[in-house]
Amino acid sequence: MRRFLERLERFGRAAEDGALVVLLGSMVIIAVLQIVLRQFFDSGIGWADELIKIIVLWLAMVGSIAAARDNRHIRIDVLSHILPDKLVALARVLVDLFAAVVCATIAWQAWRYLQLEIEWQETVLFNTPAWSVHLIVPLAFLLICYRFVVSCARTLFEIFRGDPINGAQ
Amino acid sequence: MIIFSVILVLLAVLGAPLFAVIATSAMLGFNNIETDLMTMALEILSIAQLPFLAAIPLFTFAGYMLSESDAPKRLVRLTNALLGWMPGGLALVCLSACAFFTAFTGASGVTIIALGAILYPALKQDGYSDKFNLGLVTSSGSLGLLFAPSLPLILYGVVAGVQIDDLFLAGILPGFVMLVMLSGWSIWVNRANRKPLSAFSMREVAGALRETIWELPLPVVVLGGIYSGYFAVSEAAAVTALYVFFVEVIIHREITFRELPRVMRESMVLVGGILIILGVSLASTNYMIEAEVPQRLLQLVAELVSSETSFLILLLFFLLILGAILDIFSAIVLVVPLILPIAAGFGVNEVHLGIVFLAAMQLGYLTPPVGLNLFIASYRFDKSIMHVYSATFPFLLILALSVIVITFLPELSLLFLSN
Repeated sequence: MRRFLERLERFGRAAEDGALVVLLGSMVIIAVLQIVLRQFFDSGIGWADELIKIIVLWLAMVGSIAAARDNRHIRIDVLSHILPDKLVALARVLVDLFAAVVCATIAWQAWRYLQLEIEWQETVLFNTPAWSVHLIVPLAFLLICYRFVVSCARTLFEIFRGDPINGAQ
Repeated sequence: MIIFSVILVLLAVLGAPLFAVIATSAMLGFNNIETDLMTMALEILSIAQLPFLAAIPLFTFAGYMLSESDAPKRLVRLTNALLGWMPGGLALVCLSACAFFTAFTGASGVTIIALGAILYPALKQDGYSDKFNLGLVTSSGSLGLLFAPSLPLILYGVVAGVQIDDLFLAGILPGFVMLVMLSGWSIWVNRANRKPLSAFSMREVAGALRETIWELPLPVVVLGGIYSGYFAVSEAAAVTALYVFFVEVIIHREITFRELPRVMRESMVLVGGILIILGVSLASTNYMIEAEVPQRLLQLVAELVSSETSFLILLLFFLLILGAILDIFSAIVLVVPLILPIAAGFGVNEVHLGIVFLAAMQLGYLTPPVGLNLFIASYRFDKSIMHVYSATFPFLLILALSVIVITFLPELSLLFLSN
């Protein structure tokens, strides 16, 4: 089980990194290509702007997933400098749980919205179904939710496992 | 509703991720006015509708590549060659190098880590007092926020719907006001420091110039491209990213291809953290507009103040408090949509408002309890947070003074704008 989880972690990180490299790289290339085409050939790719905007959305979502893994989402971080460690850990459990519930809710609502898009057969970028591009939103929030659940469980585990041992010593 | 608000504030103070707090307040609001919560998805998806947003990941990536390379070292060598011979010269080196660097790295605390490590020991060696060094390095870490292409400037432009190239121009003079005032004060404090100064050497300048030959054209690449009309802001960002990649990865080879995914990840973690807050803030802003919050706020403010001047004074106080509790990115996406109509009601130019907003928020980096730079410096230089704070306090006062100057001389921001 443990080995499976470790492998999952490694795979997840690699997938995030890979996605970021592809997204960021293609964004640079498309944008620069646009300039070259316009300045030197007086032409351009009609759908480039829309594609870049979609890449921004994807970068935002994948970046958020990565931020959740690295525990780097923006927080007001005052208490950890004032309160004793144990209270900080308890507060951490509470806010992580809260964040997990919020993310699950957003993921669910985004999923519902996707159903509508499928029903209405909305499209982006010529005839690409909109849902296939927008799927990243519920997926991202689901993964971020998972991250907060893991973080919550880990902190709880540390609280319960860590202290009695320390106390016995 | 009030109970919910109190609980949310409490959760935020306890350290809940801000995007979750903002999303919850938006969802509670939508629930209240019987709007389907599916709207949340729609709002988050509208990240893909905003113009110029591509500039944010691209400039951030370029900035992170710069900070991971040896560019900070080269930059310090060059400024030192140019300014080091003056009394208080190294302090000026610190201020100008940090300002230049922050403009590119987007004021996320990277400056203190990348440049502080070089400058802090150098200042010490040159006989500046430890307290002065600490204060200087800490407050320099957010200087340059007003210079193009800083991330907060772009974010303000996106959120407020203001031309980003106008903001870039508007930031120049106010940015220099801050720089000059801090420089003047640094020279004044160190007037008694009579350490033999290094002589100005043409050879050293030439050497440093040769070393930075590739990085120096960067401001021209960014600004020249935009103002000559060759490319738009987001295209300038793409060119900058490609250029910096070319210089640091291919020419200098200070970042290997192997390290590149890590640098990308680091920068996109910051971008993801900011854009997710932007996404949920779009939702909460829409709810507030639906619930006519800006109008009610305007009425409230109109009862308190009557003129543009008194409004600006009130605004400054508000921003000072805001800056002390909220980071600059969250503050922009959450608060700017609310104060924009109020400021317009008092006749404040929206470009000027942006400069005032960012300048005042810059103070927030240095004020407890959440001042980001205080924590980074405390961590980086291994000093207690209170010690860092007291060392930074005089700089904070000078900066506050410069913010007042910037606020009440709108000509500074608007001089370069054509209309």
